[in-house]
Amino acid sequence: MQHFALTIIGRDRPGIVSQVTEILFQGGFNIADSSSSILGGQFSMILIISNPKIATQEEFSDAFKPLEENNLSVFIRTLKPGGEIRPEQEGDLCMISVYGADKPGIVFQVAKELGDRNINITDLNTKLVGDKQNPVYVMMLEAMLPVDTEIEVVENWMEALKQRLQVDISVRSLVVMEL
Amino acid sequence: MAVKQVLVYPDSRLKEICAPIVSFDEAAEQLLQDLVDTMVDAGHSVGIAAPQIGALRRAAVVDVSKSKLGKKQENHGLLQMVNPEIIEKEGSQVVREGCMSVPEYTGNVTRSESIVVQFLDQNQQRQIIRTEGFEAIAIQHELDHLDGFLFLDRVSSLKTDLFRRKQK
Repeated sequence: MQHFALTIIGRDRPGIVSQVTEILFQGGFNIADSSSSILGGQFSMILIISNPKIATQEEFSDAFKPLEENNLSVFIRTLKPGGEIRPEQEGDLCMISVYGADKPGIVFQVAKELGDRNINITDLNTKLVGDKQNPVYVMMLEAMLPVDTEIEVVENWMEALKQRLQVDISVRSLVVMEL
Repeated sequence: MAVKQVLVYPDSRLKEICAPIVSFDEAAEQLLQDLVDTMVDAGHSVGIAAPQIGALRRAAVVDVSKSKLGKKQENHGLLQMVNPEIIEKEGSQVVREGCMSVPEYTGNVTRSESIVVQFLDQNQQRQIIRTEGFEAIAIQHELDHLDGFLFLDRVSSLKTDLFRRKQK
């Protein structure tokens, strides 16, 4: 079945989820995966959707016009076959906290360090906190380590980065207890 | 040896409150053995509760000694528990749990850090043990099953919870 990624973003207010999902429900769509959150003052939704009767986005994109009229931006992406399936990933999960006085490039340099070493970021949140005089940047991420990479090695890499960026970084393993 | 099929939600038996085992008969002994066999057969599992194999009776087994994480901590090895009850709880810790009966989903759950649990063991002896860490979490998770609770009922935070507080 053809799957689509639907992204919706707009000024937060009560009723956005209801309005979006009513359209999906009326149109016969299934929501496979979704994640929504407030970023700044914007409510943002990302959903993986499908409908057994629909193969192309032209067939349903008009259904979201009422959302646009309500100041929500809608973006639809047609997934390639199998694009809705999360690949099986081997390796240990870890949690990395990065925080420090705000400066340009924190996210990029941490992400580059991880990406270059084939560490896969699976979840990432960043937020600017503190006040105008002392802005503090907080970055929290979860990442999947390559099978042969030990957490101590990651800690060493992050230690070097910590010196270079002058931020605090901590790494810990994230154990999922399968019970 | 009887390896049973592990029930998966939405099987309604996973939401039932289990009945105490009043007489420690052959059926109860068999149930404990089935639980152990099924837990061992499930490879990665460190515990299983009776309702997960369709028996609505208050019994569960836990053994963290074979798991990567449990091995590193002090533990009681194989625990076979009949009518288990947590009589003391202390502290709290957040752990990410998964469950054989709810495949492909994990969530952050708040559990007590250390517990005292009493139960009848496989020899019908009353045991009272104090435990903490992974073993304590496993016991709390399995005992929840006896009251129809899944870890889904205990999820305490979404991953982004950290950023939700104190919005200015």
